[in-house]
Amino acid sequence: MNFLENLPLAAKKLILDAVEWVCNWLCAKTGIKLPDWAMPALLTLVSILIVIVTIIAVFMVMFALMSVFERKILARMQNRYGPNRVGFFRWRLCGLFQPVADGIKMLTKEDIVPRGADKIVHFLAPIAMVAPALVLPVILPYGRGMVPIELSTGILFFFAMGAGTELAVFMAGWSSNNKYSVIGAMRAVAQMISYELPLVMSAVVVALVAGTLSPNGIVEAQSGYVFDVHGIGSLLNVPKWFVLTPWGFVACLLFYIGALAESNRSPFDLPEGESELVAGHLTEYSGFKYAIFFMAEYVGMFAINGLLVTLFLGGYQSPLPFLEWIPSWCWFFGKLACVAFSMVWVRATLPRFRIDQMMQFAWKFMLPMSFAALIAAATWYYAGRGPAAWGISLLIVGVPYLVLGRLCFTRRHTADNRRYLYSE
Amino acid sequence: MHDLIQRFLSLPWGQPTDWLFLIPALLMLLAAAGAVMLRNLIHCALCLTLSFIALGILFIALGAEFVGFVQLLVYVGAVTMLILFAILLTPASEVAASNNPFRSFSFSKTLNAVGGGAVALLVLGGLLAAIFFSPHAREAVPPAQAAVAPAKAIGENLLTHTLLPLQGTAILLTAALIGAALLAKEEKPL
Amino acid sequence: MMLQVLLAISAVLFCFGLLAALTRSKAIMVLIGIELMLGAGNLNFIAFWKFSAHPELLTGVMFAIFSIALAAAEAAVGLAIIIQVHRRLRSVNINRADQLKG
Repeated sequence: MNFLENLPLAAKKLILDAVEWVCNWLCAKTGIKLPDWAMPALLTLVSILIVIVTIIAVFMVMFALMSVFERKILARMQNRYGPNRVGFFRWRLCGLFQPVADGIKMLTKEDIVPRGADKIVHFLAPIAMVAPALVLPVILPYGRGMVPIELSTGILFFFAMGAGTELAVFMAGWSSNNKYSVIGAMRAVAQMISYELPLVMSAVVVALVAGTLSPNGIVEAQSGYVFDVHGIGSLLNVPKWFVLTPWGFVACLLFYIGALAESNRSPFDLPEGESELVAGHLTEYSGFKYAIFFMAEYVGMFAINGLLVTLFLGGYQSPLPFLEWIPSWCWFFGKLACVAFSMVWVRATLPRFRIDQMMQFAWKFMLPMSFAALIAAATWYYAGRGPAAWGISLLIVGVPYLVLGRLCFTRRHTADNRRYLYSE
Repeated sequence: MHDLIQRFLSLPWGQPTDWLFLIPALLMLLAAAGAVMLRNLIHCALCLTLSFIALGILFIALGAEFVGFVQLLVYVGAVTMLILFAILLTPASEVAASNNPFRSFSFSKTLNAVGGGAVALLVLGGLLAAIFFSPHAREAVPPAQAAVAPAKAIGENLLTHTLLPLQGTAILLTAALIGAALLAKEEKPL
Repeated sequence: MMLQVLLAISAVLFCFGLLAALTRSKAIMVLIGIELMLGAGNLNFIAFWKFSAHPELLTGVMFAIFSIALAAAEAAVGLAIIIQVHRRLRSVNINRADQLKG
């Protein structure tokens, strides 16, 4: 299946060759002689444009499909159908054209700006939210050799761009001239900052073991199988993904919870829940600006899910040797779809956190657990990766979990003796 | 006049792509001007953020990518948030409203501005004189292409040569964190 | 040539920071000026590192990283002090904080 595997790269090479041929043909036709630096510069510009257009196209399509599938999956988990009417030209198509209807609605809504609002900041906040979010997926390896931009400090770049999102949330909340927006924005920023630390620490754990900050290098560090048996027993092959180690499992869970919190998704959607603070920092946004915030949130969610797949789930590699004929980009998007489905599942299942519960969880449980995972990863790496290393790192991760999660901070905040008053 | 232009054109300008860093540099200076001159505090803080972002892009354009990303992460993610929260927590009284074009003329405020501007201009003049006309300015400068800062080398440097400053910075950051939290705490009446 | 242009840019940024610290009357503006001055210093470190004789020693880069960390710590403490001063004096005007008695 080599043809399918190389399809995206072959398409990009085809477009670049076509551009070069057209340029050479134009130069030959009109007789203009280009300087030496013109052709490579033009090809670099065209390849950058291909990267931009591909990422925007792929993520817009994924955003549209996600918005309808999330509602349908949520609905099915709540024992009802989701949107299943909007179709195309008299075919129902299971409601898959719902994003088109949503898009038309968002675009044609009136754009209301409050009278006392700070107009420039109110206008710039959605832009400041969506610009870093669209830049995030650029460093992820979507397949073998298919990194849009190869950065040796890719993980650091990812978190540096993620810091722009908090600024945009604050701008949105403050510029709306609305007390509830400001409170919602403060809570959202406090939540995002608190959960950014365990997120970054989990990524640092992976960078420690892989020895590199480049996402491609981290995926390569997870290649190979533990037993490496071919033939009949190849079903016993366990891939060397980081999620299948004790510290990696803990780090993956912490990263997953941090990803839920960074994208303001349930159960961390206090800033934008409808029953709290109207819509929080997004109260005064309508129409296209709200659609841009929505899109930025979903694209950010996909980007951070992609990073989770890259860091812990082995990126574009297949879990079993005999499944390696499936193209690597199919594996990446398949794993991304599984992680996104699990996020929708969590949204359907768990109730919302209160703000003080959220902060306590981040600072008193997740941060010490991420430090424990770091120590466990270092011990595992230097103890030779054998059974002894597994045992020690399990201990280093398990004891803090038992202490922090089960013994400390479990007293309930209720009064001791309650008096129940019944109406007789 | 003609030979001045000749001397200007014969300076070692280099390739046009070397000077691409001027774009974030000019953006940074414009944003810094905005941060200093604007009346509304939040607008000042947001212009400062833009200046930080442009400075980070400038670091990346100069080849120090790690420093650029650290600048974006620390300054835009943390320092900006600190400044914005502090502005929100310390609201000024609304007497001198920022939109009032007929602010009362105050001699001391004008003297303040003129004096500060004069000092800043003097310092700028001194620095520019030192940069362009000092004896060291005539020395040859090594070419810039060899300056790469891979993250691995920075990490090794941090843990071998600059280990003591690293530990000192860790202690200092812990002390600053605890100190800032303690300083900003409200004293509840007993 | 490029080194001198970079140093000139950093000098202009420093003078903007100096202007903010000297002229504005709100304490937070003084802090913004200090941050601008620190940023100009960082730019100087990186400029000199780029054009140094031994860039593989990474001296300028190390200085810049530590300077960024220290600037963040100092901003945190400075802002905590401003918040506490605001609680006492009900004002962030630096001209009001002219008594040692607090």
